[in-house]
Amino acid sequence: MFRSRSWFGAAWGRPKNPHSLEHLKYLYNVLSRNQTVSEHNRGLLVETLRSIAEILIWGDQNDSSVFDFFLEKNMLSFFLRIMRQRSGGSSYVCVQLLQTLNILFENIRNETSLYYLLSNNHVNSIIVHKFDFSDEEVMAYYISFLKTLSLKLNPHTIHFFYNEHTNDFPLYTEAIKFFNHPESMVRIAVRTLTLNVYKVEDASMLAFIRDRTAAPYFSNIVWFIGKHIHELDACVRNDADHQSQNRLSDLVAEHLDHLHYLNDILLLKITDLNQVLTDHLLHKLLIPLYIYSLSSIRRQSEVTMETATQNLARVLNKSLSSFEQQESANGKVSSVVSLFLLSQVFLIISHSPLIRYLAWIILRTERSTFDQGLDKLSEHYEIFKRKFELTECEQSSQLEIESNASSSGSKENLLEEPKNVTDEEKEKLASTPTESTNISEKPFLETVYNSLDCTDNDYAALFALCLLYALANNKGVLPDLLELVLKPRMSPSKSVGRDIKYSYNTHLVEKLLHIVILSCQPSCRVRLVTLELALKLLLQLVTCDGQNVMSDLHKTSIEAARTQSTALLRNFYKSEEIFLDMFEHEYCDMSKGPLNVEWLCMDSAILLPPTGTPMTGIDFTKRLPCGEVERARRAIRVFFLVRDAVLTLNGEIETQLPLTNPQSCVQIDTALDLSIARYNSDLIACTVVWKDGQKIRRFLVIDIMQLILVEPDTKKLGWGVAKLVGFLQDIEVSGDKDDSRCLHITIHRPLSSGSTSRIPLLSAKFVFDDNIRCMAAKQRLTKGAFTHTGKTGAGSGSGAGCNVIKFGLAHTVRSGVMPSRLFVSPDQNSINRWPGREAACRFQG
Amino acid sequence: MSYAYLFKYIIIGDTGVGKSCLLLQFTDKRFQPVHDLTIGVEFGARMITIDGKQIKLQIWDTAGQEAFRSITRSYYRGAAGALLVYDITRRETFNHLTTWLEDARQHSNSNMVIMLIGNKSDLESRREVKKEEGEAFAREHGLVFMETSAKTAANVEEAFINTAREIYEKIQEGVFDINNEANGIKIGPQHSPTNPSLPGTGGQGGSQGGGCC
Ligand SMILES: Nc1nc2c(ncn2[C@@H]2O[C@H](COP(=O)(O)OP(=O)(O)O)[C@@H](O)[C@H]2O)c(=O)[nH]1
Ligand SMILES: [Mg+2]
Repeated sequence: MFRSRSWFGAAWGRPKNPHSLEHLKYLYNVLSRNQTVSEHNRGLLVETLRSIAEILIWGDQNDSSVFDFFLEKNMLSFFLRIMRQRSGGSSYVCVQLLQTLNILFENIRNETSLYYLLSNNHVNSIIVHKFDFSDEEVMAYYISFLKTLSLKLNPHTIHFFYNEHTNDFPLYTEAIKFFNHPESMVRIAVRTLTLNVYKVEDASMLAFIRDRTAAPYFSNIVWFIGKHIHELDACVRNDADHQSQNRLSDLVAEHLDHLHYLNDILLLKITDLNQVLTDHLLHKLLIPLYIYSLSSIRRQSEVTMETATQNLARVLNKSLSSFEQQESANGKVSSVVSLFLLSQVFLIISHSPLIRYLAWIILRTERSTFDQGLDKLSEHYEIFKRKFELTECEQSSQLEIESNASSSGSKENLLEEPKNVTDEEKEKLASTPTESTNISEKPFLETVYNSLDCTDNDYAALFALCLLYALANNKGVLPDLLELVLKPRMSPSKSVGRDIKYSYNTHLVEKLLHIVILSCQPSCRVRLVTLELALKLLLQLVTCDGQNVMSDLHKTSIEAARTQSTALLRNFYKSEEIFLDMFEHEYCDMSKGPLNVEWLCMDSAILLPPTGTPMTGIDFTKRLPCGEVERARRAIRVFFLVRDAVLTLNGEIETQLPLTNPQSCVQIDTALDLSIARYNSDLIACTVVWKDGQKIRRFLVIDIMQLILVEPDTKKLGWGVAKLVGFLQDIEVSGDKDDSRCLHITIHRPLSSGSTSRIPLLSAKFVFDDNIRCMAAKQRLTKGAFTHTGKTGAGSGSGAGCNVIKFGLAHTVRSGVMPSRLFVSPDQNSINRWPGREAACRFQG
Repeated sequence: MSYAYLFKYIIIGDTGVGKSCLLLQFTDKRFQPVHDLTIGVEFGARMITIDGKQIKLQIWDTAGQEAFRSITRSYYRGAAGALLVYDITRRETFNHLTTWLEDARQHSNSNMVIMLIGNKSDLESRREVKKEEGEAFAREHGLVFMETSAKTAANVEEAFINTAREIYEKIQEGVFDINNEANGIKIGPQHSPTNPSLPGTGGQGGSQGGGCC
């Protein structure tokens, strides 16, 4: 070792061991002799740079003298010198240089090595170097390098990058120049870097970010989001025929990306930064664009519209050029788009200062306040906030006072303001006693409510429902704001010790009930998803502490809707088999899980006007039915949805559906009374021979759904124990050409079992006593398998479990049990799942 | 260097399964760990040839940003291919595949090609996940499967190139919208002589509103 070191050290030749100090010395010599990049030495330089990375990592892990040498010779300065040369196609060299740096910074484990590397200012010089960013390869490696560095940031290393004295932070400021780069991966790297920077807890660095960069950076982001939204809006307006679904889905995904990014920043909970960001978002984007676009549905008050536009212009004036101002001044988006986007905001962002304000504007702002402009708006909000904080402190004492005060009696108006209102507002309240006046005084809420009208179609209604749902479920919204609007209010009753009195938003509940009732009409234009969401929201509105507080009137309404949905369903009940197939299939499908509103709002397809053609690839529940079969499916689902809601409201659980549940199938190891009707088929004795030669004597039972291998119970005559069960539709049977007493039977696992294994349950030879029994068994099996798989019709893909269920049902029908019992009432007797057959067979030992 | 297509890949899987090593092994074959030295990297590009066409692969590692939801979701969307990696010597990395796959399916475009990789095949003696299990998982979820070793370079080329081949075939079949760069596919310069302004990203807008800082 010693000898070889000195030997190589003396010579110029390349050392044999690539991982040694000698090798680095050799590479150093190569670099010093090739300081000018040329056509001829490019290859050599690249090779040298690659080797340097490798040896430095080796040194980091094995030999500290390697790093010492690298620093002593100031080798990073060679890097700089190379990249500063414009000559000789150096992008090839630059790429390798950047990759070497990447490797270096990613793989160094030794803290000291890292500090050494960063300690002279070379890395910052590399960061600010103007590479040829038009070369996409250089760009990609460069931004990866910056991102890699950002992953190394912590309270110790931050000072190598952020210079407090010169107020300089090139890593951050250079990176954010590319925040809107056309390459998505570059944009993502920039965003990653910014988040990595923000999360370093260093006060002076964060102060720099806030004072020097936050305002311009955030206003740029906000401006680009606005731009995207206008593109999105244009796309929705111009695409009634679903031509640019891809484009639209990109734009929606992009908007979600933006919101998630902003939310990720807000979640870091850096107070100062969040303040700036919240301010920008509210006043430059959410209020002027999202919220003000909501008021465009209103036809009556042109004046307000104008004021809104003026306000908007004023807000935008502050920071944006005239070009931008012009674009957005008349650039409201359609109210559906704004409802959709606001839903996303409330579904994603949870930062309460932002969410509260926004919710307050939508739910509380009155036209008069709003007309006074944005400044007044925030003043009012401040008053509201202060009142709220006050109430919070004195909640308990206040409550008592309140209950006394409210006992005066005239509190029937369900839409009255909750306790914490300003005096001014209280006065106003007194002068506007009726509900309708009250709502039309709230321009945004009014738009939302008006959008719920499904008379023509449910296009806007779906978004209004999404928004209300998102508002009701966002943790950042004050519960106080929601009370009586999106959740019930509980108030102690007049006489002490008696029941608690509940009130809720009757106006909204009636609107929702109207949607439900409409949905139950034939040929209505309400989509299933709209109905499901309406019911979901409805339940929330009238449920308090798990209790249904619906008024009798409303209860009657929803009951009527249920009757309607049953009647609607009955219209489609023509052919039993197909209908029941569908019925169970839809049930299986719907049981997969309730509606996820966040996912719904990720789907750009709902932004296009509701369509009835399946060709668009839009999910069945998100479009109108097409053709008789789909109308039947729709009716079935409406029935299920309304039924489920009524059950939930009544605090009941579903006991009737699915019609045939898998539990009634025979399970392994259950003891069976073989004398009962269900196993009435002849028992066939046979020997099961496995591939490995193992043999077992069993009895074969083939009932209407299953093949069961039974071992007779030795203690109980007429009973047997199921040792293996398989569904008939999962069975493959073939004869044996050499032995007419034999069948080869393969039983597959049910598709619906969720098992990952596709290894058959059983694959074996069955030997019967004679060829007649063998034939009988085969016929039964093939007939059964055919019946089960061949008849599915609409129910394909529902899994074997469903097929079984269907069969059971179809059988129910055939044996004369009226399926219409189903449609009558849930509290009638359960359906006879297993009709008796006349003859019972004896166990023939 | 000019190319016919550029495909963007992401590489996902639990920490420590060997993503960075695979990436470097593929992009820079030089790093064959003679001296038990393993080095990784989180970005790399390399040219390959399929069907006589030059195809550039750009591979982006998503490591280190799992904490940020915004980042993961956009990574997925921007990729045409994904290598989903587990470590055959650590069963838990195999057990987490379902979660990774759900995430990928939720955020990516539906055409993204996913290759399942069981890495560290050189460590046969410490194997905890059978090859058959990997195969079964892949079959069940419609993925291509391969066992690799970033250490010996076994199958590393194949893993990346087979993924590219599948993407290429999808392009030939017209499944991918190649004019939409959001899909993680870019047509080389010779195919788009006029260099049309890129949709959705505001190429010119960048100069108007950008340059803020
Ligand atoms: N034996 C062996 N070790 C590997 C292999 N790939 C990676 N490793 C090791 O596994 C560890 C984690 O690798 P890394 O690439 O950083 O994993 P990542 O977190 O997924 O990027 C490192 O110590 C590597 O040396 C392989 O194929 N075989
Ligand atoms: Mg890694």
